[in-house]
Amino acid sequence: MVLTIIGHPVSTCTRRVKTALYEKGVEFNLQVIDWPGGEHRTEAHLQKQPFGQVPVLIEEDGFILYESRAISRYIAAKYANQGTKLLPDPSDLKAVALFEQAASVELADFDPPASGLAYEKIIKPRTGLTTDEKRVQTLNETLKSKLDGYERILSKHKYLAGEELTLVDLFHLPYAATTELLAPELYESHPKVHAWYKELKERPSWKKANEGL
Amino acid sequence: MVLTIIGHPISTCTRRVKTVLIEKGVDYKLQTIDWANGEHKSEAHLQKQPFGQVPVLIDEDGFTLFESRAITRYIAAKYANQGTKLLPDPSDLKAVALLEQAASIEQADFDPYASGIAYEKVFYPRRGIPTDEKRLQQHIDTLNAKLDGYERILSKQKYLAGDELTVVDLWHLPYAEMSEKFAPQVWESHPKVNAWYKALKERPSWIKANEG
Repeated sequence: MVLTIIGHPVSTCTRRVKTALYEKGVEFNLQVIDWPGGEHRTEAHLQKQPFGQVPVLIEEDGFILYESRAISRYIAAKYANQGTKLLPDPSDLKAVALFEQAASVELADFDPPASGLAYEKIIKPRTGLTTDEKRVQTLNETLKSKLDGYERILSKHKYLAGEELTLVDLFHLPYAATTELLAPELYESHPKVHAWYKELKERPSWKKANEGL
Repeated sequence: MVLTIIGHPISTCTRRVKTVLIEKGVDYKLQTIDWANGEHKSEAHLQKQPFGQVPVLIDEDGFTLFESRAITRYIAAKYANQGTKLLPDPSDLKAVALLEQAASIEQADFDPYASGIAYEKVFYPRRGIPTDEKRLQQHIDTLNAKLDGYERILSKQKYLAGDELTVVDLWHLPYAEMSEKFAPQVWESHPKVNAWYKALKERPSWIKANEG
């Protein structure tokens, strides 16, 4: 059996994983979860992913892994010798530390306000809920102040963990894209961030991950 | 120079780092940041930590690192051969993957809600911002739902990445403690999670990290 990803073409986290798989040139089968039918809340799915989420990786030997960033890291490590180099040399403790610093910044400083904005302005209307405009304003302010930090970082080196592209830069793409849609002025006011994002979004892997959407 | 942590004794993230330093038996010096006078927003600090936060590690050779989870990973890797084993064998790809799965869960599924409770009940009021009761309840409800997932995991294995303790279990301590104080029912209604937390908080490293 080929490597399987249980997910959904539209899902941000599924597209995060697809991007990494394409960068590494790894074949996979996308098994589309029946979201409207509540498949993610079935016991069968909860046995694989206890939080009722996607994506989930099922390896060729049956190994199960969830969390898009963990899946992407595993793919990048397992296929270290093919495709784009996406991780630092594991024996370089400082390069690994700077990678982990960037990875933590993505999850702690970028993802919450950026995904929060996407939730308020895209998901809520789609599901019949009302956007909380006060929350949108708070999220916008938080994201703006976090991008000030990113601007400092990207004024010192080309990518977030140093001069080389890593997985962490790619982790940002799904919510960097929604930010472009929802708050483009934030990019205009952060030119280094903007240039970094514009280059990333041209990567063939990201374009392929978004095909059909 | 000895390894320095720029932080603050009460800071949750500083205590996260102190816990791991103590587990690994690594000497360090805590340089207390002057919050009250805005040192964290000074250009000197922003040069080290561009988001104006603590903690920051300055290693013996001047290497600078921020983000408590990155600092603890670095300490655990650099001192792999002393103190408590806190990381899987790096050549075991699946064990590493399961650590990364647990690490991602902590930051994506636990921290926002557990720290959210702490913000509404402690940090915002301390800054003169009143508790948003509606938001607080949302955090409590979401944390409760997420702990259902944790209960499933901890019914199958002893710790979050498998049967051995890792850094990821320890990362939970600061906001587990704060959320348990303000929403104990959420913890009590998840017995395996509660037992896991109660055992962790008895670790001498956590007790020592909270001294003073």
